[in-house]
Amino acid sequence: MTKEIQKQEVIVTGFGGQGIVLAGKILGMAAALGDHKESTLVQSYGPESRGGACCAQVIISNRIIQYPYVKTADALICMSQSAYEKYKDQLKPEGYLITDRDLVTPDGCREFFDIPATRMAEELGRKMMANIIMLGFVTAITALVSKAAAQEAVQSSVPKGTEEMNLKAFTKGFEYGVSKLKGKEKKATGQIGVTS
Amino acid sequence: MENYKIILFLCNWGPHAAYQGLQDNGYQIPSEIKMVSIPCTGRISKAILFKAFEMGADGVAIVGCCSGACRYGSGTDTAENNTIDTRSILELLGMGQERMRLATFLPDESTALKDFLADFCQQIKMLGKSPVSPVQPTSQDMPPETVQQVLTRHDAYSCQDCGKCTASCPLALSGKSYSPRTLVNSIIQGNGNREQIYKDLQACLTCGICFERCPSDVNFPEFVRDMRGVLFQADGMESGRQPHGGFFQSLMRTMTSPALKTSRWDWLPDDIRLDDQSPILFFGGCAPYFDVFFRRHQKVQTRDIIADSLRLLNFFDVQPRLLPSERCCGHDLLWSGDRVNFMRLAKLNVEMIQDLGVKTVITACPECYQTLSTQYVLQGLSPAFTVTHLYDFLEKEIDKGAVNFKQLDRKITYQDACRLNRMENVRELPRKLVRRLSVKNFSEMKDAGQSALCCGNCAWTGCDAHSKALQVKRIRQAKETGSDLMVTSCPKCQIHLRCAMEDPFLGEELKMEMVDLTTLIAKTIYYD
Ligand code: SF4
Ligand code: SF4
Ligand code: SF4
Repeated sequence: MTKEIQKQEVIVTGFGGQGIVLAGKILGMAAALGDHKESTLVQSYGPESRGGACCAQVIISNRIIQYPYVKTADALICMSQSAYEKYKDQLKPEGYLITDRDLVTPDGCREFFDIPATRMAEELGRKMMANIIMLGFVTAITALVSKAAAQEAVQSSVPKGTEEMNLKAFTKGFEYGVSKLKGKEKKATGQIGVTS
Repeated sequence: MENYKIILFLCNWGPHAAYQGLQDNGYQIPSEIKMVSIPCTGRISKAILFKAFEMGADGVAIVGCCSGACRYGSGTDTAENNTIDTRSILELLGMGQERMRLATFLPDESTALKDFLADFCQQIKMLGKSPVSPVQPTSQDMPPETVQQVLTRHDAYSCQDCGKCTASCPLALSGKSYSPRTLVNSIIQGNGNREQIYKDLQACLTCGICFERCPSDVNFPEFVRDMRGVLFQADGMESGRQPHGGFFQSLMRTMTSPALKTSRWDWLPDDIRLDDQSPILFFGGCAPYFDVFFRRHQKVQTRDIIADSLRLLNFFDVQPRLLPSERCCGHDLLWSGDRVNFMRLAKLNVEMIQDLGVKTVITACPECYQTLSTQYVLQGLSPAFTVTHLYDFLEKEIDKGAVNFKQLDRKITYQDACRLNRMENVRELPRKLVRRLSVKNFSEMKDAGQSALCCGNCAWTGCDAHSKALQVKRIRQAKETGSDLMVTSCPKCQIHLRCAMEDPFLGEELKMEMVDLTTLIAKTIYYD
């Protein structure tokens, strides 16, 4: 992807059981295998692993990564309110805050990108695919990994037989992201409706 | 020079005396002027005025008595309105409104009349010959079908005489002594009263309810359409029986002239962004003509649907191109039995679209959609482009998310368009879009979806008291839902249902606001 980006630190966080770690793993795999960069993954379940905050720390870099823990995050992906509260201060001022719209209400002091990933997953008939939808969304919004690499990584990480469904979920999230960016652009020009 | 044709409709009263005065004094009326003596200018409808152009007239003048001097009171005022409308139609067709003029003269104004005639001839010659060439049968036209061929193609012989069609036909249900079953059978037996068969073929709405019910799968609407073709081709056009004097059929036949360069886009608002290199073409349809025709009567604004469709495409970052010389898709000619002229239109449209290298055609009109996407192929053409309904495009884009709908404090119901609903099986899609809107309530009418009642007319054929009764029933169904807004998807539904709402006896009872789904989406959608 873009040459200037040297190192990107990402926190993916939410409840246990939301597939947070898998999302982090796919992100790292996409960067390493598809985009030929370096990446690391540190997962923390902690004592809260069942239902409490769960967190995956991913680092993507052009060079070898010496230290795998996130110091300040370039992107914070939150799928629960408590996880958001816990990690929000680690996000760089210019970093991306990405949330599940129905599960997280940010405190409003910074710009953020939200998607009703869990609701969309329910509409697709599989609540547990919310993480993959989120991943598609993140791929569209940020320049962390390329679309092709992410799709590849999704395909090779999900259980056999569910690839197609997961790719569909990924595409949903991705398209939502593209549409969201378009909406931001329109808002910047002051025209959000058809005529005004 | 000699072959210019200018029709002069001349009122028998005041101006005729002036005209005679000219002749008495030995004045040679210019040879290009063909005079038709009429009882009153008010009796010359838009259909008659326009018929002259369809038949290849280069200019038409209608000459009557000064307003106030009309023998029948309001003749001149009516003529004035008809002239304004006809001129606007000529303008949309790209023929130039100057080809038609209205003038009034007192009996003693011979000199003024002479000057007028000379001036009009001069003007027409400056404009040149009309681009419309009257339709002549050619060897390339399809040979007329026989009754037998139509019966066989639609397998009408398999009719079991069960009467399910008649039992479900909304015309029969509104009290008309009309029976599709009897019609099929009297055609099969070949001994029916010809006059009655004609009338019945004219009456059918081709709405398709009966086809849904028929156990033998007789496609009655298409059967009627093709029978119309057979009989009308054998006995000449039946324009006198068509509603509005056959004006619309006449208009659509005019568009078969290849030399015609229509200008139906001049009115488009400035905010719409187009790209004349785009691989996507938006096909608008004839709404602008309808608006002109019904300008004073029902104040329809169906062309707004075209503008709003384009705005919605723009909203989703599609800048389509338009067909500069777009013509009617041919739906009404096909369904009123004029297959020959339908084919001429269809071929012209396909050629023009393909010449632009267009891959995708998007349209919002149910009739254009059905005709372009299905009928062109069924009638033997092979267009090299795909046809998408705007709703399909919108549903896909909206489904991607990140857009929302402004709250609308209305209770709505939805009127199915027969061409989308029963012919293309598109009934869930518009409902999906309707459900996305933020309205107070959405409720279905008693007859909805597959069994929905139509708007009471199709292809400007067979409008009568019974189809009116059907429309009244439909509007009452809409009101019974408790809704205060009827959402439609076809410009014609708006026109025909609005017409029923003008009923002077039922008055306010039938008034209900209508809005097209496309417009409703365009008015409320926004990026979240
Ligand atoms: S198509 Fe409609 S109007 Fe015609 S016979 Fe069938 S139900 Fe009646
Ligand atoms: S429903 Fe079909 S089979 Fe029955 S009478 Fe009508 S055309 Fe014949
Ligand atoms: S319903 Fe009204 S607008 Fe429609 S064809 Fe009949 S008279 Fe014309």
